[in-house]
Order: sequence, then structure tokens, then C-alpha cells
Amino acid sequence: MSTGTGDPLGRLRELLSGERSTGLTLLAGAIAAAVASPLVWVLASAFEARGELGLLARPATIEVLVNSTLLVAAVTGLSILLGVPLAYLTVRTDLPARRALSVLLAMPLVVPSYIGAFAFVSALGPRGILQSLLGVQSIPSLYGFAGTTLVLTLYTYPYVFITTRASLKTLDTRLVDAARTLGHGRWAAFRRVTVPQIKPAVAAGALLVALYTLSDFGTPQIMRFDVFTRVIFVRFNSFSSDLAALLSLQLVAVTVVILAVESKVRGSGVRSEHPGGQQSRLRLGKWRIPALAGAMVVPVLALAVPLAILGLWLAAAGPGRGGVGFSVGAALNSVGVAGAAALAAALCALPLAYLAARDGSPLARLFERAAYVGYAVPGVVMGLALVFAGARYGGVLYRQGLLLLPLLVFAYVVRFLPQAIGSARASFLQVSPRLTEAARTLGEPPGRAFRRVTLPLVAPGIVGGAALVFLTTMKELPATLLLRPSGFETLVTQVWSAQRSGYYGQAAVPALALLAVSAVSLFLIVRLEGYDVD
Amino acid sequence: MSRHTSRRREFLAAGAVGLAGLAGCTGFGEDGEEFQPGIIGYGREGRELPGGTSMQEMPPLSGTLDVYSGRGVALVGSLFDYIEGLYDDFTISPRYDSSTALVNRIEQEGDNSVADLFFSVNAGALGALADRGRATALPGDVASLVREEFRDPQDRWVGTSGRARSVPYNTDRFQAGDIPDDIYAFPEEPRFEGTVGWTPTYGSFQAFVTAMRIIDGRDRAKSWLEGMIDAGAESYADEFQVAQAIADGEIGAGFTNHYYPQRVLDGRPDAPLATAFTRNDPGAIFNVAGALVVNTTDDEELATNFVRHLLSAEAQDYFARITFEYPLIPDVEPVGDLPTIDELDPPEGLDLSELSDLEPTIELLREVGLSV
Repeated sequence: MSTGTGDPLGRLRELLSGERSTGLTLLAGAIAAAVASPLVWVLASAFEARGELGLLARPATIEVLVNSTLLVAAVTGLSILLGVPLAYLTVRTDLPARRALSVLLAMPLVVPSYIGAFAFVSALGPRGILQSLLGVQSIPSLYGFAGTTLVLTLYTYPYVFITTRASLKTLDTRLVDAARTLGHGRWAAFRRVTVPQIKPAVAAGALLVALYTLSDFGTPQIMRFDVFTRVIFVRFNSFSSDLAALLSLQLVAVTVVILAVESKVRGSGVRSEHPGGQQSRLRLGKWRIPALAGAMVVPVLALAVPLAILGLWLAAAGPGRGGVGFSVGAALNSVGVAGAAALAAALCALPLAYLAARDGSPLARLFERAAYVGYAVPGVVMGLALVFAGARYGGVLYRQGLLLLPLLVFAYVVRFLPQAIGSARASFLQVSPRLTEAARTLGEPPGRAFRRVTLPLVAPGIVGGAALVFLTTMKELPATLLLRPSGFETLVTQVWSAQRSGYYGQAAVPALALLAVSAVSLFLIVRLEGYDVD
Repeated sequence: MSRHTSRRREFLAAGAVGLAGLAGCTGFGEDGEEFQPGIIGYGREGRELPGGTSMQEMPPLSGTLDVYSGRGVALVGSLFDYIEGLYDDFTISPRYDSSTALVNRIEQEGDNSVADLFFSVNAGALGALADRGRATALPGDVASLVREEFRDPQDRWVGTSGRARSVPYNTDRFQAGDIPDDIYAFPEEPRFEGTVGWTPTYGSFQAFVTAMRIIDGRDRAKSWLEGMIDAGAESYADEFQVAQAIADGEIGAGFTNHYYPQRVLDGRPDAPLATAFTRNDPGAIFNVAGALVVNTTDDEELATNFVRHLLSAEAQDYFARITFEYPLIPDVEPVGDLPTIDELDPPEGLDLSELSDLEPTIELLREVGLSV
């Protein structure tokens, strides 16, 4: 290091400046290796089950593979169809109440799938509230493919919405204006100029939706649709963790295919020398109000059903019970671990995203992709892998419980790092390297050029990515249950404790607190982004 | 007006009960850890402390005990608090999770596990852990507090409370004599046409079908399931809901664990609800919740003495009164209008730990067309 300082941030900046790309590559490689390491456990456990490879070719397993593929395709497709137009409406048009609407549209993200799916079944399922209101004998079944797709789409489309919105915000609309000047119609300009600019961000969001869908257990379990996570759970339940690992390996293979597809589709984006320059909005005219109403339908449906059900739980709450219910300490714990996970994920994402955006080498791509694999591994598998590693190599520190919190945060980072990488990478892609080069020409040292020119431009993307990690971590259950220290309660573990023993009234309070804390965070994030820059 | 009120009540009930119900199929709940109305903290209201050995007469506990508990904090938290409160120098450090997750966890932790004691909701998880060589055999004087059929043959674990499969029925619809004592008679009796409730997605029900498969073979289990479907069995999400529906007269009978009707009666003492039991067949299996001293414990004596406390008069009374389970020491009677353990007639020769072999059962349920 030329500076000779031991300051790690200084080193990081220097690494990020592009001057020391070997160092940067090594750093990115180390992060990728760390987050992919739990796969070693999956491989080793699956190897134990090598005698049972026939399991993978059984008709029931093939059906699960087909089901999982169909579900991922349907949820991802629908999320794009919802997320992109909604993002466009809230960023590029003169829709009223855009800021409030943006928060509302992102809000379904804070609802854990086990609460969302549970609420939908309670409301619309057999002997549910809708049926009792209508007073009819039976209503069409909500279970299976259709219901699972519906619920997952309602709670995951915000990934596409948020990443697309971030990219639309930094869109250089002068390019659109130029296209119009050159005689393109509005639609042609959108297709030829806007679409290529936002495509990497849409693809990044769609990838998050696809991998989340693949790794989610709560929704398919409650909606009774057989996908990988559900059969893996059955295997764990019959104490066959090696068979569960074998199926997890197949899940990882599907993930790799999805990653390859996304790489092909996303394109390389369009770099602008004026990111975020000049915002001219589409005027909706008489369509303003109908567009607003239409945009409200989705989030209202996604939020009203669980809120109504939680309200009913509260109303029907029986007497309390020791050990279950809400505590402020649990809320602080939730925010604490989620905050730590968000910060760690943002720091880890920075070199990976930068490298992936600036260095087209196969190695850079490999590192970035490797970081995605952990996202699709179900939480229970991840949790057990880390329990194994912690107990095996952690010695007395593990026995004292001191390793558990770091392991828990690490599990969150492994599971959700891609959420931070996706939007950071998309932001880097939109900033032309020539801006930094110009700063260098003017005599700025590389670290300073990065800090003063690139960083401010990509900051919204990085903050947005960290925010996604924060919100997803807040609602994560399976790894939290396995890796929390004894006696460490978070809001989700409180919901879980009360719900499993049937104390729905007591489950409602921490569940509502979870939604409230997440909603406030979401609101702050949107404000922090300085969303309304008219 | 009254019509309106009743509609509203129905609405609330659908909200609360419909939800209560789903615990079993979410994968976050576990058998026997579901809804319990009207629970109060530890006390001895209305019931004298029964026979058996009091905690006071047991060796005192001191030190810290790491308990991996598959039983939820809502069910056993106040019992733990009570025991902790008896001694100045005794702390329980509980880790709550599902029983199966805890078995998997102890297995992964290997020699470096913190667990001193595993407290499980069913014999299957205890057997699985013992079969992995992770149990320390209990001394004879602790194991023998419980009868042989409720503990491991090698004393690697003991049951601490029990639950029987049962046939709750509506007393306005049926007399006690109308309920067959043979589970296989239900599909054939015309009086049960369209009026029996069951829970295909629920863990306890699946364990019952597993027992049927193991005891009488897959074919017989299949034809029983098909017979019940032909007889119009109504699916519910969980067994508490079945017991409620019987009490409401919505259906006439059902298949549930014995404590669900007890829990309904606890909240509604005048409900027309009674419980029957089949004899010596899979409809009458008796499963236990129990404890196992993990082989990695650093204080075997403490862990063993804690198991002893779980079999004390106070703890057994707690299980009878608070969780409506069957106490397993001879001197404590179950609560409510239930036969004693000796009057029950569970099938012979069934190894309860085999009931964790769920997958073939799920395949069978699907094969006959049930959505699980």
C-alpha cells in the first residue's frame, strides 16, 4: 500500500478505486468463498446419502422439481408484470401522492410469508371468514399452485418494484429526450432507451423474486403445494438430514440454472455520464386518479388481509400466558440483528458489485454469482450447516454461546447478500467509469475520486440494498430459531412461540410490532433516499 | 338483532378458531402444543396435591441446566419457573424449538453440544436421538418411577406425560353405546355417514395413520381411508377445531387426541361433548412426551435429578391439570371425565418411535386423494 496506513477503510477505498484490482479481486473472492462455504456442509451431508441417489429420479421428486420450476416462473413473471409498471408510475409520471404510494407499494415486503399465507387461508380458505360471511357451503379451494402463486407474488413483487424504481430514479432522461428529438414516439423511446437502461435492475429484482420463491417454506407449506422446501422439511422431520441435504443439492442446481438464465437476459445496461440528470415526467392527465386507484389495489389486498386477521386475533385474545407475548427487548433484538446484517451485507456487497459491474472477467462474474447461491438454500439447511460448523470448530466459545450471534448475522448475510449486491451492481452499471477518470485527470487520488464521485452516485442503490436486507432479516424465522442464543427473543420468535401454542392474541402483538417497525424503517429509507427530487 | 350478533360471533369464531387450527399444518406448530383456553399459572386451585413423591423430598438441584425443549414455552415455561424458584442456586437455560429440529441440532452439534436434557413432545423424537447413541441411560430408581410401557426398554428415555387417541362425540347425537370400540367399524356404520370430522394434514392424525399402516398393513389402512372418504368424512385443519365442531353440533364425532375435547370442555363445561376410546387397535394408540439425558451433559446427576422432578407429584399434577394430559406416575389421576390409564387399551407391541416414519403415510394419504 502506497499510503502505508493500517486504516482498513482507506485500504478498502484504495482497493475499490480500481488501481489495485488484484487486491480487489482477492477481497471479492474471499467474500464469495465465505458466503458459499455452508454449501460444503450440504455437499458433505449429501455425500453421506450417495447410496440413495435414486431418490432424485423418483417420479415424486421429479414432480417436485416441475412444481418448483412452474412456481418460480409464474411468481417471477407476475412480479415483473406488477413491479415494473408500478415503479414507472411512481417515478416517471405525475401521479398524485407518489411518495406515500411508493412506501405503500413496497410495504408488502415486510409481511412474513407465514403470516401472509396464514392470513389468506384463514380469510379465504375452507371454513374461513369469507365463507362464513357469504354463508355458503363451500368456496373454490385456495390450496395448491394458484393460491401459492397468488400469495408469493403479493409479497415478493416489491423486490422488482424497488430495484426498478431505484434504476428509474437515476435514469438519464436526457437520453429519452434525445430519442424523442430524433423522431421516436413515446413508446419507441421507452423501448429503445429506457428499457435497456432499467433492464439490469429489473433482472436483479426478478432474480431476487425467483430465488426467494425457491427458498420460501412458509407459503407452500401453508398453501399445501409440494416444492423443494416442503419435501426437504419432511425429510428433516423424519430425521434424515442427509436426504434433506441431497434434495438441497438439487435445489442448488436449480438455482445455478436460474442464475445462468438471468445472466443471459439482463444485458449490460447503459452507462450515463449524467446519471439522474434531468427529470421530465410523463403527464397522466385525466388518468391520474384511475391510475392511482389501480396502483392501490395490490398493496391494499396484500396488507388488508393480514392486518384484518391480526386484528381478529387481538379481538379474540384469551387470557395471557407466561412466556408468550410481546416485549420491547425482543423488538430491540430484532432491529439490532437486522441492522448488523444489513451493514455487513452492504460492506460485503460493495467489492462484489463493483467488480461485477466494472470488470467483465469470468472470475468477477463467478464471484458475484457464487454469492447468490446461498440465497436459495432454505433457512433450516443454512442454520444446521452453521450449527455444525460452529460446534465443530468453535470449541468452548460455541459451548458458551458466544459464537451464536455472529453465526446468526453471518447466516443472514449468506442468505440475503444478493439483495444488497443486485441494487449496488445496477447502480455501478449506471455510472460511467469516465466520471471517475475525469476526477483522476483533475488530480484526485483514486480513493478520493471514488469517494467523491462514484460513491455519492451509487449511494441510493447501496442504501436501498441494505434496506432490503434489513427488512428481510426482520422476518426471517428458520435460521433465527436455530442460531439464536438461548433466551434471545426477537419479534419473529415471539410470534412463533405464541402461535405454535395457539395463543393467537399473544402472537398478534409481536406480529403487529414487526409490521410497524418494518414499515417505519421503510418510510425512513424512502425519506433518506431523498425520493422527491422534483 | 340477535341474528346479527350471532353472525358476528360466528365471524369472530371463524377468525379465531380457523386460525387456531392451522398451527398443525404450518410446520411451526407441533403435536400437542396447540390451543389451550383458560390456562392459569401454577397453583393448586380446586385440587389437592395428589400422591407420588413431592419435589421437596427429592435431591435438591443446583447449577445450570441446558434444556433443549420441544415443548413450547407456553406449556412448560411456568413449570420451569416453578422448579427454578424452589432452589437458590439453580438455573434452567431453555432452548425452545420443534422436537425434530432439536434432534437434528444435537446430531449436528456432535460432541460439542451444550444440551444436558432433551424434552420432547413425542416418543418418536426421543427414540431417534437415542438410536443415534446420544442418550445416557437413566438410573433404575428414576426410570422405574414410570411403568415399563411408557419408557425406553433400555431406560434411555422416560415418558413424562401421555396422550391417547380418542373418539369425541356429541352427546345429543349419540349415546355412549353408539360409538364402536373398533376403529375399522366407522366406515361401515351408516349412522356415521357425513358426520365424522378428521384432520388429514395434522401431525397427530398422520401418526395415527402411520400406526395403522404399521400394525395392520398398508392395504388395510388404505381401505379404511377410502371407506371414510366414501362415508363423507369432513376435513378440518386441526383437532381442536374438530372438537369445537362436535361441541357445536356441526358434526357428530371425530378422531382427535384426548385432550382436545378436554380443552373445549374446560372453556365450555356444559357443551354436549364426551369422549370414547377404541380398544386394542390403531385408533387407541397412546403416545408420550418425555425426557432424555443427552450424553454430552457435563452434569449427569443434575440432569437426572431434573428428570426426577418432572416425575414428581407437582409436575405430574401440572401436566394433568394444565395440559390435560395423562400423568404417568401411578398415583396421579387424569383431570376430567376420562378413564384411567389402566382402563385404556392401546394396541400391543407398537414401537412408538416408529411413528416418525411419516413419508409413506403422506404418500398413502395422497394416493387416496386427500390434499396434504
